[in-house]
Amino acid sequence: MDLLSYLGHSTISKWCKVCLGCIFTITISMFIGGCWDQKELQERHFVLAVGIDKADEGEDAKQEKDKKSLESFIQPHGDKLYRLSFQILQLTPASSGGEGGRKASVSTYVISSTGESMFEMLRDMLGQVSKGFWFEHIQAIVISEEAVKQEGLQPIIDLFRRDTEMRWLIKPLITSGKAKKLLEFKPPSGEPGGLFLARSLHLYKKNPHMPGWNSGLGETSQAIDNKKTVQISRVELEGDMIKLGGTALFKEGKFVGYIDEYATKGTAFFSASEKSAIITIECPDHPGKILAFELFLHETKLTPHINGEEIYFTLDIRMKGNLGENQCGDHFDAMDEEELHKVEILVAEEVKHNILYAFHSYQHLQTDPGDFAGKLKAHQPLAWERVKEHWNEEQFPNISLIPSVNVIIENIGGHK
Amino acid sequence: MANLEVKKHMSAGQLAIVVFVTCIGAQIMLTPRGLIAEVKNGAWISVLLGGMFFYTATYFMLRLGKQYPDETIVEYAPRIFGRIGGGIVIFWFNLLFYMQVITIFYGVGRIITFYMFDRTPPEVVVLALLVVCTYCALQDWGTILRIQQFLFVIAYSILILVWLTSILNFQPENMLPLWPLDIKGVTLGSFTTWGMYSGYECVLLLLPLVYRKVSLAKLAKTVGVAFVGLSIVFMLIIVLTIGVLTVEDAKNLPFPSLIVIRSVELPGTFLERLENYLLVTWIPVVFDTLAAMMFFMAEVCMRQWRHADHRPILLMLVPIIYIGAMLIDTPQVNEILGKFTMWLGLSFSFGVVPTALLLTWWKKSKVGKDCG
Repeated sequence: MDLLSYLGHSTISKWCKVCLGCIFTITISMFIGGCWDQKELQERHFVLAVGIDKADEGEDAKQEKDKKSLESFIQPHGDKLYRLSFQILQLTPASSGGEGGRKASVSTYVISSTGESMFEMLRDMLGQVSKGFWFEHIQAIVISEEAVKQEGLQPIIDLFRRDTEMRWLIKPLITSGKAKKLLEFKPPSGEPGGLFLARSLHLYKKNPHMPGWNSGLGETSQAIDNKKTVQISRVELEGDMIKLGGTALFKEGKFVGYIDEYATKGTAFFSASEKSAIITIECPDHPGKILAFELFLHETKLTPHINGEEIYFTLDIRMKGNLGENQCGDHFDAMDEEELHKVEILVAEEVKHNILYAFHSYQHLQTDPGDFAGKLKAHQPLAWERVKEHWNEEQFPNISLIPSVNVIIENIGGHK
Repeated sequence: MANLEVKKHMSAGQLAIVVFVTCIGAQIMLTPRGLIAEVKNGAWISVLLGGMFFYTATYFMLRLGKQYPDETIVEYAPRIFGRIGGGIVIFWFNLLFYMQVITIFYGVGRIITFYMFDRTPPEVVVLALLVVCTYCALQDWGTILRIQQFLFVIAYSILILVWLTSILNFQPENMLPLWPLDIKGVTLGSFTTWGMYSGYECVLLLLPLVYRKVSLAKLAKTVGVAFVGLSIVFMLIIVLTIGVLTVEDAKNLPFPSLIVIRSVELPGTFLERLENYLLVTWIPVVFDTLAAMMFFMAEVCMRQWRHADHRPILLMLVPIIYIGAMLIDTPQVNEILGKFTMWLGLSFSFGVVPTALLLTWWKKSKVGKDCG
């Protein structure tokens, strides 16, 4: 009646089935073994960090100029806008051989190319290496201020948002110097530079001087899509010293400017994004000397209010922590409740000052850090619809913020 | 020896599992972008409304099926609509499964090659999946049902567990305003969720297998539980997608419900690129939906052409399915086909089925009067 029933009743069906089964199994095994597109670990160049500079940035020395001709290619379209650099991981395996044996070591080296399309430069750089690149372990993208000022952030990071090999946890960073120099920096700890930068950013929980809470490529991409201010951590290299601190701000993909460490810390207070912070005040009865409060717990509530046409925000903050350091000497008795209460009030004042400092920094740059527009959109959608078109330029610089801070010192530490 | 896998009967609970498993498939990855772009923050309400709408449609189907015990739509459609009309309805019914199957194959091939095997042609991925699904659909209903029950417990729990890791990046504020300004858009958006809930039409084919003693009320209740489960799963996915990515970001990503776990950093583990793990757990979910739908297509043809075995027909359908999936060569064609399938499904559920029910009631009341 049909093929199956024919096979089922035929005398040769058994052998046919066996043969067909064998052929099928062997054929499938050839394709699903995974050998046809295998790539061994040692066959790949692990890119740990990416640096993006302006193409003609820092080409002073003659040697550099000679190199530049090699770090280039004929472009059918576009200009030489960017210099793309990769920090590549070099793994040297251990070798046994008696006295001549060598220990396994990890080092990095940097290669570059110039062009406009990141993808085109990436492929051109394959002319400088012997293995393909592997991007799943990129830790950081360092972008120079000069590079980003040319066409904005979007053309620089588009490839990294689009390519599926890139992770969303990659940390973008901005430097006022040269990104390539940062990639060439050898951390004293011996770690590869890319890892060093990413791990340093992870310390944002205890260091509110850097905006690590929204520092990944995913968050950057999300902020761009939401037309929110992009906040990227600033990194600087001076000699053999590296330092992360402060924030670079981007509005609609364009570089707006930097805010300093103090304003970055104030920004963290808007949404309680830090896990710990050190807040210093002058001793209540001994000005010029310092007391340090160590923040342990932080709750915050930013609320938009509408009064006719006027929009203002209140920021209610509750903080708990310890007395971390006392340089007031005998002028301050930590066991005295009244004295301690004075400190709580002074810490609260300092937090308010810090918040308003950050807030006014943003207002000066006509750039909402995102918290205010987000709250208004979420809680007062009708008012947001009314003001959203000119929020950053007209509304945000004129709104008021009323902070109220309640600080509780729970512990005075291990000494009176 | 008797074929023990030929399933003659199933319980109401098993029918509910089949409905659940057939509905949740590829569309949980493919549909959310369009829905979120259309309805924005109100997408979660659209999903809930969609659940209610499509449960109502399923209830009509159950009522219709109960009017014709021991018969599927293939047998009673010609009696209701006439030979030609019935033929059109059966073709329509089967076309629904066919359109869903080819769009799912296209979508799955695209996602898997894009995120996992970027140098492998989608045709190869589709072919491999088609072979596996065909092997499953060639079995008798008893085996397929057992696989569905097994995957219902295993695959779905793992999938949801992996998905829930995105809670680590969930920002409740992204969900606000919870109550949308555009109520009309939300209501219309609920029909867009047909792509998510589609598959419930299988009750028209499976109802004769459910024990006759199971009452309509019990069936409605049990299938209702399946729809509650579906609504919860779909709502969870939409809420997580918006809560993690925001509406604006989700609109710009081809598969936001997959990307939702891309930023998750599991502390203390070496696991990265979690979207690949999500894809791996999603494949069995797609497999059981496709296998069931392919079986249903072959079963409809078998009954229509009065064959005794669905297997030769299924083998005949395989190249047609493959060619159909390969003909969708761009996302634009896929989107147009998706819309066409949605309208095909909506008009079948809310046009053909209620009409069939009304005609049945009318004919039965006429018969009663004539007798009297």
